[in-house]
Amino acid sequence: MNAPLLALLVLVFPAAGAALLAGRGWRLPRIFTVIVGPGVVWLSFLATIALFFDKTNADFTYWTWIKSGSFDVPFGLLIDNLSIFMCFVITGVGGLIVTYSVGYMEHEDDPSYARFFCYMDVFVFSMLLLVLADNFIFLIVGWAMVGLSSYLLIGFWYQRHSAVVAARKAFVMNVVGDVGMILGTFVLFVSFHSVTYDRVFRSLQSCRADLGLLCPVPAADTGSLEVAAFLLLVGAIAKSAQIPLHTWLPDAMEGPTPVSALIHAATMVTAGVYLVGRMHPIYDIAVYAHAAVAIIGAVTALFAATIAIVQTDIKRVLAYSTMSQIGYMFLAVGIGAYAAGFFHLLAHAFFKALLFMAAGNVIHAMHDEQDMRKYGGLWKDMRPTAITFLVGSLSLVGVIPFVGFFSKEQVLGLAFSKPDDNMVHVLWAVGFATALITGFYTGRMWWLTFWGKPAPNRAVEHPHAPRLVMMIPVAILAILSTVGGVVQTRAIGVGPAAVDGFLNSAVGRVPWEGGGAEIAVTFVTMLLAAGLFVWALYSRPWSAYAPWAQRLVEHKYYFDEAYDWAFVRPLDRVAAFGLRGIEQPVIDAAVIDTGLVARAGAASLSLTQSGYFRNYVLVFVGGALVAAVIVLVRANS
Amino acid sequence: MNIGGEQVDASWFLLLSAVLFALGAVGVLVRRNPLVILISIELMLNAANLALVAFSRQLLNLEGQLFALMSMTVAAAEAVVGLAILVDIFRVRDVEDIDDLSELRG
Amino acid sequence: MAIAVFFVAAILAVLGGIGVVAFHQPIRSVLSLVVVMLSLSVIFLLLSAQFVFAVQIIVYAGAVMVLFLFVIALLGPARELGRGRLRFQGWLSGLFVLVLLGLMWSLLQGVQYRQPEKADLSFFGTVQSIAAGLFTTYLYPFELTSILLLVAAIGAIYLSRKRVDDL
Repeated sequence: MNAPLLALLVLVFPAAGAALLAGRGWRLPRIFTVIVGPGVVWLSFLATIALFFDKTNADFTYWTWIKSGSFDVPFGLLIDNLSIFMCFVITGVGGLIVTYSVGYMEHEDDPSYARFFCYMDVFVFSMLLLVLADNFIFLIVGWAMVGLSSYLLIGFWYQRHSAVVAARKAFVMNVVGDVGMILGTFVLFVSFHSVTYDRVFRSLQSCRADLGLLCPVPAADTGSLEVAAFLLLVGAIAKSAQIPLHTWLPDAMEGPTPVSALIHAATMVTAGVYLVGRMHPIYDIAVYAHAAVAIIGAVTALFAATIAIVQTDIKRVLAYSTMSQIGYMFLAVGIGAYAAGFFHLLAHAFFKALLFMAAGNVIHAMHDEQDMRKYGGLWKDMRPTAITFLVGSLSLVGVIPFVGFFSKEQVLGLAFSKPDDNMVHVLWAVGFATALITGFYTGRMWWLTFWGKPAPNRAVEHPHAPRLVMMIPVAILAILSTVGGVVQTRAIGVGPAAVDGFLNSAVGRVPWEGGGAEIAVTFVTMLLAAGLFVWALYSRPWSAYAPWAQRLVEHKYYFDEAYDWAFVRPLDRVAAFGLRGIEQPVIDAAVIDTGLVARAGAASLSLTQSGYFRNYVLVFVGGALVAAVIVLVRANS
Repeated sequence: MNIGGEQVDASWFLLLSAVLFALGAVGVLVRRNPLVILISIELMLNAANLALVAFSRQLLNLEGQLFALMSMTVAAAEAVVGLAILVDIFRVRDVEDIDDLSELRG
Repeated sequence: MAIAVFFVAAILAVLGGIGVVAFHQPIRSVLSLVVVMLSLSVIFLLLSAQFVFAVQIIVYAGAVMVLFLFVIALLGPARELGRGRLRFQGWLSGLFVLVLLGLMWSLLQGVQYRQPEKADLSFFGTVQSIAAGLFTTYLYPFELTSILLLVAAIGAIYLSRKRVDDL
């Protein structure tokens, strides 16, 4: 098996699965969907493993899609350690989630069942295309298709009005990001006359102003590079649900829980992090955009964590938690610690998918009730789920020895210890506060669901234990969350740094060392966060303090209302004008009136068909006369 | 041409043909009895035959007469079929006025 | 003498034509047409078309007109009554026909007849000469007209068959 073929197979398997399910799946028995749906994702996983052991590191071009002057777009796949890393996350965690959803979606009828797995396979394909593409155009193709899959899956239960509205909202905001991506690509093409990573980055290498090398883009023109970096960042912000393009993520919880797990926790929302990491040569030079990445990440992390405190829907808590953790990833890649950011991406994929799927078990058992105030005391009835949820929660809070500790604390530690950068130290403080709040809301969530006495209006008296196919992926992820930390223990100062090493060839090393202060701060953070977790388990209701703050946070800082006033309503008016002022009188009228004119013409012409024989003969004779006159005139002239 | 020792040219015969043709046309246009219409058509055909034979004699080319023979044959066939159709229509109702047969309109 | 014959025949033909158009009873129209045909046959004879003269009387006046008479006898003599529905038909028809006549007259004005070489008038228009033409050069039209007559006969039989069930 040679590497180019393997790389192509990674993409082809989910695409083939989607095509099969779209074409035949809804007509064949369910077992077909059960095998094909998750099966192709696992096949992709195996292909990724093969590529890993092959130690491939190359850029394969398969064919040229567009060639127009210097605009040359090949269909090519870039296989380096970063791509393989992302493929592992997508196919591995994705495979577990798709397998889990075999059980979760069992109540759907056969055509919808096949449709779900078809959309999931489309999504996996798109996400793999996004991370494997070796040029900006196919990156954007994958980017847009991922947005499409998200729309299709959020609105999967399309009979529900709220789901349709949420899907539309997600799609529109993603399109805003897509526009940023495309414009950024335009700027880069104008500067470098190429859209492949290879050529663009090589042109940039000689541009390091600090090294004083010759540069096709003069140093004064880093302006255009900054513009491109900011535009690409817009795309990353939209896809990763960071401020200000974050409002779609909580609404996206309308989709089925496996969708939330796969797309809105483990993979799609991490595409923004991948983007910054992949474009690190650009961001290393465009320092303002780079700083913006870190600032946006940190602010979003804190902001989302505060909102998570007051949420009552278990999936919304997890959604805001996702937003917050991705903020950490943005902070990491924003300060230059790319490998740390990706390690947190991996860890987050583990424990967030775990949390979503365990929550899915609870929701499934409680007959689709998602309000945590109607839970309570499930520790007794759903012990395995409660334990796995606890593992995920502790990982999220960042308690040793779970993987979340090693990843999150590494990020915070690096921010703390970055030399000569006061802004980053401020961001560290923001991240520190966020970690504490994370402990609090996670504890609240676990307490409301599993601890204490059952709520008086609990939806189901005796919830059933989940099926095996739903429990095993959860268990696997719980194990991974527990032991996953061993691959990179830099947070405690000793031990292996496998992720750093693996990604070094792709994104480079962190240029500074932590030292003892970093480790100390790490442990302090962990202890305080864990303490708040425990306090939340036993504290009393807290809404009595500062009701105005409560209201502000409950309304998500009024972002939705602001956007509605600033964008939605004016556009509605424009659209209404377009309908009544332009579409109906001009375009519709042109089309309909053409028909009316034709009909009137025909009606008037049909008057000649009087049905009277003698009229027709009269016309004959008249015509013959005209012809005779013409002949006469011609003959005489 | 020389007819009976006297020199005449074809224009007399052609004028007669024109007048008969015009009379036949008037008949087709004005009369409302379908039989009379068919008869008027026969009149027009005869006028055409006259013109053909006149030219044939003028130019001393036999083709004119042959064409006139063919024309007579065709006229006979057409009269037969036309009358058969008329008989068929008359089976349904008595048609005195061809303006009554005006359903194919619109 | 020939001119006198021509004028008599011509006047009879025109009178017959007027009769065709003017009589209200169709039986009288048919008989007027017979008069026209007989006059025309005389004129054909003047024009050295002996065979055509014979055929005109035998076939046209003798067969086709008899057919018309039979049909009128079958269908019953109907008189045209009233003025009819189309108001301008009469005026417009008259106008058109007058224009037609004027055109034909003006067409006739500029014609210059060429004088052909002396030909053998004793042979022109005889049965033998017609036969020579029909069976050699014009064989195809001759055969095709026979097929045409066959088709017409079949058509006429079919169209006028007695219908039992539907119309």
